[in-house]
This record gives sequence, structure tokens and C-alpha cells, in this order.
Amino acid sequence: MGQIQDADERLIKSRQYNIGHICTTQQCSAGMADKTAMRWIDQRGCRSEFTFEALDAQSNRFANLFLSLGLKRGDVVFLFLPKMPVQFFAFLGALKARLICGTLFANFGEEALLDRLGDSRAKAVLTTRSLLKRTLNIRPELPALKHILVADGCVPAASGTLNLKELLDVASGDFDTPLTGANTPSVLHYTSGSTGKPKGVLHRHGSVLGQHGTTREILGLRPDDIFWCTADQGWITGTSYGIIGPWSLGVTQVHYGGGYDAKKWMALIEAEKVSVWYSAPTALRMLMREDEKIFRAADLSRLRHIFSVGEPLNPEVIHWSRRLLKREVYDTWFQTETGAIMIANRPGLPVRPGSMGKPAAGVEPAILADNGAQLPDGAHGGLCLRPGWPSMFTAYLGHDDIYRRKFKRGWYHTGDTARRDRDGYYWFMGRSDDVINTAGHLISPFEIESALLEMEEVAESAAIGAPDGLLFEKVVVFVKLRGGLVRSPELELKIRLHVSNRVSSIATPRSVVFRDSIPKNKGGKIMRRLLKAEYTGSAAGDMSTLEA
Amino acid sequence: MTQMTRREILSDIFRTVFDDPELEIGPEMTADDVPGWDSLSHVNLILAIETRFKIRFSQKELLTMKNIGALLKLIEGKTA
Repeated sequence: MGQIQDADERLIKSRQYNIGHICTTQQCSAGMADKTAMRWIDQRGCRSEFTFEALDAQSNRFANLFLSLGLKRGDVVFLFLPKMPVQFFAFLGALKARLICGTLFANFGEEALLDRLGDSRAKAVLTTRSLLKRTLNIRPELPALKHILVADGCVPAASGTLNLKELLDVASGDFDTPLTGANTPSVLHYTSGSTGKPKGVLHRHGSVLGQHGTTREILGLRPDDIFWCTADQGWITGTSYGIIGPWSLGVTQVHYGGGYDAKKWMALIEAEKVSVWYSAPTALRMLMREDEKIFRAADLSRLRHIFSVGEPLNPEVIHWSRRLLKREVYDTWFQTETGAIMIANRPGLPVRPGSMGKPAAGVEPAILADNGAQLPDGAHGGLCLRPGWPSMFTAYLGHDDIYRRKFKRGWYHTGDTARRDRDGYYWFMGRSDDVINTAGHLISPFEIESALLEMEEVAESAAIGAPDGLLFEKVVVFVKLRGGLVRSPELELKIRLHVSNRVSSIATPRSVVFRDSIPKNKGGKIMRRLLKAEYTGSAAGDMSTLEA
Repeated sequence: MTQMTRREILSDIFRTVFDDPELEIGPEMTADDVPGWDSLSHVNLILAIETRFKIRFSQKELLTMKNIGALLKLIEGKTA
């Protein structure tokens, strides 16, 4: 750990931990002002390049703009945007101004948006015209929200919004980033638990040490690499490895505004000479289903490594990649709370298909029993981490009690279960709670159930994650209809669309099961375990607490 | 269904699926032109069309659909 820590500490000049500064100004000072920081390819294939100097100036404009609006250190600003260049500039600018920057998946519905903007008492949100309506609809419920900025053109003044372009035009491209300590709050992501609303996971500027170190040591990025991380910036991977890690190393990143398309993706890797590619198991499994000709025709000679994150990587994907892409796929594991990769496969470490790999430098995991005892190799238990890694989250915003409960007897409890083999490889086993991991995104069953209960047709509801060959887990909902109503394809569709529009398209139920009752225990808690067992045809285990 | 043309019904489906009552569709439009039209919402869209028009698309038909105009043509062929 010592050598890695020392190397990472060299990143920090004069105690300046500011992520925005390190990713831009510091790169320019190191002689990389003219180097391409970002190649932006929009959904139609049009390409723009931004140097580190441009990244610095654009983010400076945002820092000045945010401060000119009266925002102060520690205020929360959210980016509710599809992938677009301004997202990166605004993110770094907010951090330079020592604001807390939250990012939101553009497909979030009004309920998900309200939960996040309301809980964080966000002061400003940057969005686009197409997404504006969702923010305006909930604005009356957001008394702390002072500013809504629209990124792509003018909107009627009566809407009470600000035109970003007009403000940027008069904002200076010069900004002296204030000295920022390691513990200064930086990035905010919301994560789902099995109970209650999503919680705001707060990170600090010192997390850059973790992201920088793992980008170099695990992803193996070198100065001449072209890196493509496919993650949306709404998620932790999109900020830790789609912004911070690579730019803290002065590496050129490709960002693509389009969605999944096997042909376009392979063409992009070939044309942009992507050398390190970071994606997700669901995307890789989708690629596996495509015509092999697409991959045989692509020139992937510049592609050195492929990494994956989000959910366990099936051995089949690794074998497929070895056969067709002639590359290993290295699975990595981390959480919103950990801020950076904790356990990973990596070049130089023989891959054991299906394993999470071994701990990153400085990370000390353990497999613990429910009573806190450390379990021997081979035993299945709670995956825990010794606190103190640089990118460890610092709070669940406004929920100190829940934060403290995550740390017991000197260990952070991840909520995942795993085992370690005798050679030190970790193997993911599952979740110790009811959180649904679909396509690498954690979804709270509570959020889905709450959305369903808004429907006048629904009397009771429950949501579970069921195994799925493509998504890892798919959302399955159980619904008890109000008296007199009967199930129909139209109602099933209405249920799916309601969840999709209120929560997020990612939360869309893939299966709707109508039931006469929703099983609960004697305390009134939904017995999701029973529903899951019933749906998958597996054993339900102890049912002694089931309500009669 | 007799009072609304197929195009009007399709437009209504798009507005419901993408939760945008002002969404205007055109024959040349693709997923790139509709905010939120990703692989996840595409599944909802197809399911909504199949349910509303009481039709089924084959995998091949789904793969060869290039734009909304082609989608409408396909619907017209199945409901004629």
C-alpha cells in the first residue's frame, strides 16, 4: 500500500485536492494544454474534440456562472442531462467552485427526481428542454430550488428558467480554484436500499486519490491511451471512471452520445482507436447475441484491455470474448459508497472466470458472519471492507444513523455476500437485502412499490429481482388489484409504463404477476423472499413469521 | 379505433410511453430524435403498440425497422 499511496500523493500539489482543478488546470500546467481531453461523438456520429485547455476554460466558465447565481460552497447543484459535452464542463466547474455536484440519469421520472432534488435541498439544476417539464412539474414541492438552467436553447421566460448559453456567454474563462481540502464534499450520487427512499451518498475531493490510483493500477491507463467508459454520468462509474480517474491522469477519453448499437460500438472502437474499454456485463451479453460477423469484421487491433463493472460477469462472456475478440474481459467490483474499484481482475492476474478478482492496493476485505466473526476461506458470508480507503463515502446525506449502522466492529458492511477461495480470489454470491440489481443498476423495491400504489387500480404491491440471462436480475412486480377489477393486457401495460415514467425506464417491470394478496409477516413487512421463491420455483426457507 | 387514424393512435402511444403530451412524431424520425428512446423504453414502446393494435411483431420485423415511417407501414400492413 505504501508505494501506491506515495505515488498517488504525488498527484496532490500544494495540498490542492480539488477534483475540478486536478482534472483540468493541473493537466495544463503539466504541459498537456493542447492534448485532447475528450473526443465527443454525438448520436449521429458527428465528432468534436476538446483539449485540456478547453476543458479548463469551459469548466471555469461554469464555476464563475454558478457563483454569480449566488451559489455558495457546499450548496448542491444537480445535472439532469443526457450525455452531452456540457455535462462534463458543468460537473468540473461545480467542483471547482466547491459546490456539491449530483448527477442524475436522464430517464428518471418525476418521483425519482423529486426524491433526489428534495432530499438534497438542491439549489440549482441544469437540464435540457426535453427534460424540463419533469422539473417544472415538481418545482412547487422544491422550496430550496432557486435556479433551473436550460442547456440547449431558450425557453419562455414565464417558466422561470435561465438560459445557460446567455449566462455562459458573459462568464469568464478564468477562475482561480480555491484551495480545497481532502475532506471537502464533492460528488453526490443517490443509491437505493431495500427500505425507505434512495439515500444521497456523499463523497469528498480526496476521493480523487482512489480513482486516480485504480485507474492507473487496475485499468492500467497510460498517457497515450484512448479510453472509453460507456457508463452514463448519472452513475458512480460515469463520474469516477468516465470523468475523474482518466482526466486526473491526463488521458484522452471518448464519450459517445448514442445508445447501445453493436455495429456503431465496434465502428467507434475501431475509428477512435480505443485502447481501453470499460463497459458492463449487460452490454457485453447483448453483444454476445449479435451476429459474429460484426466482430470478425472490426479491426480491434488497438484495443488492449476490456473491463466490466456493475454486476457479476458470467464466465460465458469471458469465454466469448476470448474466442471472438481475442481479449480477456476483466471484471471489477465496487459500489456507489466505495467511490472507486475495490476488488478486481486486472492484466497480470490470471482470470478465474466468474470471480471478482483480488483486492486493489490498500483495500482490505473480509468475509464476516452475521455475528461479526471472520470466516475461513471458502465460507459464504458478508463482504466487508476495512474503512479508510481514500474514496470512502463520508455520509448518507441527512441520515447519520444509517451511515453509522454500515460500520460495525471496525468494518464497513457492503450488503453484498461473497466468499474467498484459498488463493485470495473473491467470488460474488448475492445481496444480503432485497435491492434489485438490474443491468448493473441498483433499484429499490420500495421505490417501485410506492409508484405502483399511486395507481388507482392497485391495492397492494411488491417488487423483487428475479434471475435474468441478460439483465442479471429483472424487475418482477406482484399486484393486488382493487375490488372488482380484473387483470388485462392493457392494465399490465399501464403498470409497466407507470413505473417507467415515475421511477425510471430501468425500473420497468419485465413481468407483472396479479395476486389475490401480497404476503406479509406479522409486522406487516412484505415477504419478498417468499415471492421470489414462488416466482423462481426455489425453496422459500423459514416462513414462521408469515402473517396468517 | 375507427375515429382515430393509425398514425394518431401511434402518436398517442409515443406520448404515453415517453410521458410527453407535446411529442410530435414524423415518418423520418428515429430513436435519435426522441428523448428517452433507449433500448429499455423501446421494449415498452413495442409492447404498447402490440397491446393497443392487438398485433405481434416478429424479431426480424423489429430488427429491420428503420424509422417511425417504417413502423407505421408495418402496423398498417398488420391491421389492414
